[in-house]
Amino acid sequence: MITIDQQQKLLLNVARRLTKKITIYAIGGTAMMFLGFKDATLDIDLVFENEKDRAVFKEAVKSLGYLEMDAIKVYGAKRNTPEMFRLNDERFDLFVVEVIDFIFSDNMRKRAEQIHQFENNLILKIANPHDIILMKCATERIKDKDDARRIINSTKIDWEIIIDEAKKQIDLGKDRAAFDLGCFLEYLKTKMNLDIPQEVLDKLFLIVEKQAKDKISK
Amino acid sequence: MEKTELLQKLAGIQTVESVMDILKVGRRMAIYYLRRLRKDGYVKTRRQSNNRRVYNISLDNKFGGKSYYEIINQYSPIKISTSVIHKIYGKEPSLEETLIYAIQTKSLRTILASLALFKKINNWIELYNLAKKTHIERQVGALYDLARKTMKVRRMTHKFRSSALPKEEYQFEFVVSELKSKDFTEIEKVWKIYIPFNKKDLEEYQ
Repeated sequence: MITIDQQQKLLLNVARRLTKKITIYAIGGTAMMFLGFKDATLDIDLVFENEKDRAVFKEAVKSLGYLEMDAIKVYGAKRNTPEMFRLNDERFDLFVVEVIDFIFSDNMRKRAEQIHQFENNLILKIANPHDIILMKCATERIKDKDDARRIINSTKIDWEIIIDEAKKQIDLGKDRAAFDLGCFLEYLKTKMNLDIPQEVLDKLFLIVEKQAKDKISK
Repeated sequence: MEKTELLQKLAGIQTVESVMDILKVGRRMAIYYLRRLRKDGYVKTRRQSNNRRVYNISLDNKFGGKSYYEIINQYSPIKISTSVIHKIYGKEPSLEETLIYAIQTKSLRTILASLALFKKINNWIELYNLAKKTHIERQVGALYDLARKTMKVRRMTHKFRSSALPKEEYQFEFVVSELKSKDFTEIEKVWKIYIPFNKKDLEEYQ
């Protein structure tokens, strides 16, 4: 597990080794730490705007002694898995734009308002809690469901933002977005007793129904 | 109680009594919770004039770092309270960087407060280079002239001025979109920049 202090030191060390200024987005546990939802995380999940920036970051991480590891061990045979680097208990998961079944969209970037700058070269923007929930449904790990529970229990959720983003993801070609989100939220509601309005689930399944009808008519 | 839950409930300015009230616990437990948070770096303690302790509990205390707004508030008589979070770690942002950041926010009050930075700015080369990167050299020049009219500021170098002054073919630009000045039109003409303030706005500096 990485604590807030360790994470900060690590990011400062990486920033010192970067050869150019890059902007990256923190998602998952890292973002949750910056937003005060948890005080330790298993991995540092980052999204890059392009492959070049990830390459620069990878070089910096490698120079700190991190070794590349196989993403299949953690994420299974999913698409858009990250490049992963590990040193002892610390792990970086580095995505470029696509996070498993989701695209880190322009709206998500705009919503990432909190900025943490490490020295001159590393600008870290923190994903909005709504988008963290959305991306948590891309994986099937129990800890992701628990993270989503923490966010939903600790902050006021505007469900419309999440539904709109699911629609946006479908427009961007991620057909499963509403379905995956619906199943994820239904699990949280029924198995973890979270207060998720039934109306939200209904809206999501209406979207899925419409998608299915559209496909049949084609 | 989990630390994150505790932090969310107690974030803000607290006294032992308010902590007791929020958590519905006795004095001993309230002090225990405050100690736990302080140990992890979430608490800053101040004493009031009557020697009572006031606790500032925040995630920011844990992160440390410095924000541009903290620097502006340190030097300006006009204070800014904002929900914008832009923290910088591993270096102390310079006043020159802070001024450029303030202008880029396009926020009227942030720019007004940042005028006070001209009292301390002395690295004109850094300021020019930063301004040139973001194409706001003329905005900096115009705001400097404005600051000079209202307060004692350090002298801008001749090189900055001559490099930043507009050429004939340049168009007028805004500092804050659609806002023009009624009182500082001479400065506007010199820099071909519309200034978003009138004399009345600068009263807080007098």
